[in-house]
Amino acid sequence: MQGIDKDRPSAEWIASLRQRFVTEKEIDHILTRKLARRAGPGYSPIPLEKLVDGVKALLLAEIGDSFEIKDARWLSGGASKLQMAFALEWHRPGLGFEKTAMVLRMEPSESIVETSRLREFQLIKAFEGIVPVPPVFWCDADGKYLPYPALIYGFAPGVTKPSNASSGVSGLGTKLPQAVRERLTPQFVEHLAAIHRHDFRNAGLTAFDVPETGTTQCAEWGVNWWDRVWEEDSDEDVPMIRAASAWLHRNLPVLDQPSIVHSDYRTGNFLYTEHDLQISAWLDWELGRIGDRHQDLAWTTSSAFGTYAEDGKTLLVCGLIPEAEFLAAYEKASGLKVDTRTMHWYKVYNNYSIAVLILATGYRAARNGKTHQDVLVTWLIGIGYMLLDEIRGLIEKGN
Amino acid sequence: MQMRPEIQITSVIKAVKDVLIPAIDPNNKLAVEQAQLVIGLLSLLASQLPVQFRFDRDELERLLATAENLTNVPTVHPGIAAAIAELANSQAVATSVLDNCRVDPGELVRSVRDLRQKVGAVVSAAAATTDIASQLLVEKIVLDLSKEQFLRDRSLMKPQGWEPDPAALPAIAELLAKLPREA
Repeated sequence: MQGIDKDRPSAEWIASLRQRFVTEKEIDHILTRKLARRAGPGYSPIPLEKLVDGVKALLLAEIGDSFEIKDARWLSGGASKLQMAFALEWHRPGLGFEKTAMVLRMEPSESIVETSRLREFQLIKAFEGIVPVPPVFWCDADGKYLPYPALIYGFAPGVTKPSNASSGVSGLGTKLPQAVRERLTPQFVEHLAAIHRHDFRNAGLTAFDVPETGTTQCAEWGVNWWDRVWEEDSDEDVPMIRAASAWLHRNLPVLDQPSIVHSDYRTGNFLYTEHDLQISAWLDWELGRIGDRHQDLAWTTSSAFGTYAEDGKTLLVCGLIPEAEFLAAYEKASGLKVDTRTMHWYKVYNNYSIAVLILATGYRAARNGKTHQDVLVTWLIGIGYMLLDEIRGLIEKGN
Repeated sequence: MQMRPEIQITSVIKAVKDVLIPAIDPNNKLAVEQAQLVIGLLSLLASQLPVQFRFDRDELERLLATAENLTNVPTVHPGIAAAIAELANSQAVATSVLDNCRVDPGELVRSVRDLRQKVGAVVSAAAATTDIASQLLVEKIVLDLSKEQFLRDRSLMKPQGWEPDPAALPAIAELLAKLPREA
């Protein structure tokens, strides 16, 4: 769009985007906030002491002054958020004095994926006792105490891959030995089924809107979300992105039953303890929504997260199980049907969303020096062309 | 192509400044000095890249004017005459090269971006109607364009290591060896 200065967006342009792309209220809120602060300064390295001070201020408001923060240190990993580990000495309600290992997860000035800490907080809270999640304690939803919005959760034990294994960025390409796969796979399927079956109506999810069953509203909110992000962040246009958006709108699936959707359910996003091979925590809920289970199924079965079995021929979903077996096991565990047409639509949708955030948001954030890892965000732009080509192939296959 | 040298250089400079240099042992003088030189050379590269083509074209124009003056120098010395004749040959080649370099690379990129945007606008315009036949026809044309373009984009990014089967992807030099109209 010529004549729009996306680095200094006007109030009129922001208002026009909000009107044009109807999506969930909280998504609208965080995207609007992103644009409102875009013309501000880029990200500058934040001293650890400043984060500790911010955590202290947050805790003072939440639990009073009877606590001590120790052993603060940076954690690496992930392209989108800053993470600081620390130990909190405090009187934990119901448990008494405790030294609890904690993690602060905070946004940079702009992230490769702009999401809501409040939604992430509520989702993790909603699944305590349902599937393994790290205990989540406090949320600074609008950056009142910390430099940017943040949440604090307990440190969960475990590894994302065998200690002696290697993998690529974000845990992609992790190869799991057969003995590990056999133990993790049933849990992997059961947990997904449990997430999709969970009653979201009584889960305290106030930052989420519920799409109407029997309509295309759920799918439309999703496409509008990424259409809007493309308009907000993209630099050069990509005709295939326009064609993908048009295809998605033309083929919107009807929602048969709303479920909580994790939106990044894959190997690399769960921890397991090596001594007993139990999944100990599901992580990275930031893109979760109340939506269509096929979004998760399409994501989890993406070839990008698959690896081949020892025979070199059998592609395993998330390096765990062949796709047909995975879908059959999921149907059995959840009692929910898998519709292949809807799953195909969500494969296009998922690739569309990732292509948008890699090629548009990643570019814009790095170009304006807005993240703590601009060099990684820039590096990731290179994968965008494979994603676009996959969308092209999927659309050709679907027509 | 969004993954251009400009954004790569900018993000590398920021990573070196914000993360790498503060992590260097201040007693390691060689490492401190070389890190500063890395920043200096990358910053120079960032300012040089956008004008490098115009810089070379400008020099060629000046050299051609000089060649013109030199070929008019009267001489009876066979050695000088031979050198001037050699110069005249190269002058003819250079004149032709300069004629082919009238368009700035920046203009080329602006034109690519303009057409990308206008092609996208046709897709969006068709999508805003109820004319499914037009939508499908436009979509087919864009899919065909994208197939060829993404092949080149992916090939250019091959050194990053994303491709599951890199050997199946032709080298970018091979793909660019022929102009699209010849391909």
